[in-house]
Amino acid sequence: MEESSPGSSAAFFRRPAPPPPGPMPAPGPPPGAEGPDVVRRPSFHGSGGTLLGIHVVNVLLTLVTLGVYYFWAKTRVRRYLFSQTQFEADRFAYHGTAKELLLGFLKAFVVFLFPIIVLLGVRDWPGVDANIKAVAASLASILFFIFTPVAVVGSRRYRLSRTSWRGIRFSFRGKAWHFIRIFIKGSFLTGLTFGLYYPVYLTRRQAFMVSHSYFGNEPFEFDGRGRDLLGTYLLALLLTLPTLGLCWVWFVAWKRRFFWNHTRFGSARFRSTVSGGALLGLYVVNGLLLALTLGLAWPWVRVRNIRFGFRYLALEGPLDLERIQQQAQFASATGEGLAGFLDTGFDLG
Amino acid sequence: MQYEWRAHYLDGQTAIRHPATVRLMRRGLEVEAPGVWTRFWAYDDLRQTQGFYEGEEVRLEHGGELPEALLIPDVDFLASLHEVAPHLGPRFHDPARRGQRVRLTILAGVAVVAITGALYLWGIPVMAALVTPRVPVAWEEGLGRSVVEHLAPRKLVCPDPRRQQALDSIVARLAATTPSPYTFHLFIVNRPQVNALAAPGGYIVVFRGLLEQTGGPEELAGILAHEMQHVLQRHTTQAVIQHASTGLLIAALTGDMTGPLAYGLQSARVLGQLQYSRRAEAQADAEGMKMLLAARIDPAGLIGFFERLMKGDKPPRTVLMYLSTHPSHRDRIERLKALAAGAPGPPVPLLPDSDWGDVKALCSAFGPGTPPP
Repeated sequence: MEESSPGSSAAFFRRPAPPPPGPMPAPGPPPGAEGPDVVRRPSFHGSGGTLLGIHVVNVLLTLVTLGVYYFWAKTRVRRYLFSQTQFEADRFAYHGTAKELLLGFLKAFVVFLFPIIVLLGVRDWPGVDANIKAVAASLASILFFIFTPVAVVGSRRYRLSRTSWRGIRFSFRGKAWHFIRIFIKGSFLTGLTFGLYYPVYLTRRQAFMVSHSYFGNEPFEFDGRGRDLLGTYLLALLLTLPTLGLCWVWFVAWKRRFFWNHTRFGSARFRSTVSGGALLGLYVVNGLLLALTLGLAWPWVRVRNIRFGFRYLALEGPLDLERIQQQAQFASATGEGLAGFLDTGFDLG
Repeated sequence: MQYEWRAHYLDGQTAIRHPATVRLMRRGLEVEAPGVWTRFWAYDDLRQTQGFYEGEEVRLEHGGELPEALLIPDVDFLASLHEVAPHLGPRFHDPARRGQRVRLTILAGVAVVAITGALYLWGIPVMAALVTPRVPVAWEEGLGRSVVEHLAPRKLVCPDPRRQQALDSIVARLAATTPSPYTFHLFIVNRPQVNALAAPGGYIVVFRGLLEQTGGPEELAGILAHEMQHVLQRHTTQAVIQHASTGLLIAALTGDMTGPLAYGLQSARVLGQLQYSRRAEAQADAEGMKMLLAARIDPAGLIGFFERLMKGDKPPRTVLMYLSTHPSHRDRIERLKALAAGAPGPPVPLLPDSDWGDVKALCSAFGPGTPPP
């Protein structure tokens, strides 16, 4: 997994041409003119029909190329979804290329997946000594265990580095080994405390993911504490039986609000107002749509999910865009390729 | 025609969007930040990254990894661009072709349905039939062993060398009728179900419930011949290959989407699997009967066994299990009778010196069968 410090980015990203002669005056009201109660909302403008059309062509080309087109397909869908996402009158942009994804997949395969396959092969091969089999099996599970956090971090690093708004790239600068530590400690303590540590682990994980994410040179910040989620988690555990598990929908909504409401960018703060009832309504309608169409409605469901996420989300307070400078980071697609194997399921929306 | 367009300019260094004016020229664009600067961008240095779909602004990027960008809200700009510089062709999107794109997408949908149907009904079975004979026997044996470890764990296998030897001799007599790369292993498992199954590589598992339902060695021999044919015809291996290929087809159809669509298609997969297995059962019946006849074993035993299973007014629950995995209809029995008519000569009795009632009590030392897990 490549690691990079802010200074090493020049190795990959050529410095762009020197800025045009003469500074450009910033248009619009001067900074500070907007009050602290300005509310900005992202919006999504894509349609399920177009998404289905893109998917149909993707499937055809994937079948005809015996699967090679898969990477182009993925890139096309992401490009569409990002281009249809708007914030402050400007669309987001996705800059990843299919070639990168393909190379990332191949590299992830050679470097990460191949050793696991060999070890599992040794484990299952008849006639190998039982001790060697046991060693191979435990090595394989250790590798597999470590690879999950590596893939999660690598995939986030790749996706953010290929995302821009107003031409400024996002980036993720967390170190993989740092997350491996959080992951191992979280899994270990969760097991040891019979699940009670899980909400604390979730929050630590979110804090790591958010606070190492940048827009240009400006980091996002997260100020939630692990124990804040614990009470709600315990309540949900207690109510699981009486509510037949339905209370977990409210827990998910609470968790989303908690995560967003503790996320800041500069002097602005995110605010989520999503409620358990609204989330349940989304799930029910989505489920009905999918059931009645035998799953064919999934592009509309995907669009509904993204719209839903944005409907209850806002960024409140002054947004000082003057301060933002481009500061792109190197990121290889290897972690993204690895995440593809593990199906960690991180995606837009 | 409109040559001058309103736009926004992003410098690739800051998050400020600047108003700009774009003028279409023959070889490129003249970009003007009003009152600040004017620059010329050659078409050859430009690439379009947005503005392909409804609602997107036209985005033109200029420069390397972190480019400057122009955002033009009105897509009619592209139509004018193609008029001014027709030589650029498909380098830039043409909104006039969006209708054509819809038609092509519908055609692609028809093609997907046709290709999927052809692969599912024809391509995958043919491919599996071609690949299966090339799978090494050692690989099948490895797979079979792990299946047997699951279905017949050592503590459930009835160990009785004397009676087992009698049963093994039936297998040996059947196996001797045809040359094969397989070594057959028969396991009698202490479970009450009336069922038998074959794992790849030569592993045959017979549940105690079935063994105790048989009225003579010929009846068991018929069932063993059927299961041995599953091994010889490599039905399980073929099913594994078909299952994996259908999985790949489903993955191609669902793309990024895991979940609901995939689950819907999974049921098609199960249906396909049933279809394959019905064909395999019929083949195992026919070839198994040929094997019985070649071994000079009386086929009346097997037919009688099936008739007894069918006739029972109320077949016990455990019998239904065999019927569900081995479709046992009237016409199956009729087919078997027709096949049995081709016997080459009088049958040679099986295990003439043994008392079948004693042999089939192989598991009796274990008490009543272990309930199903």
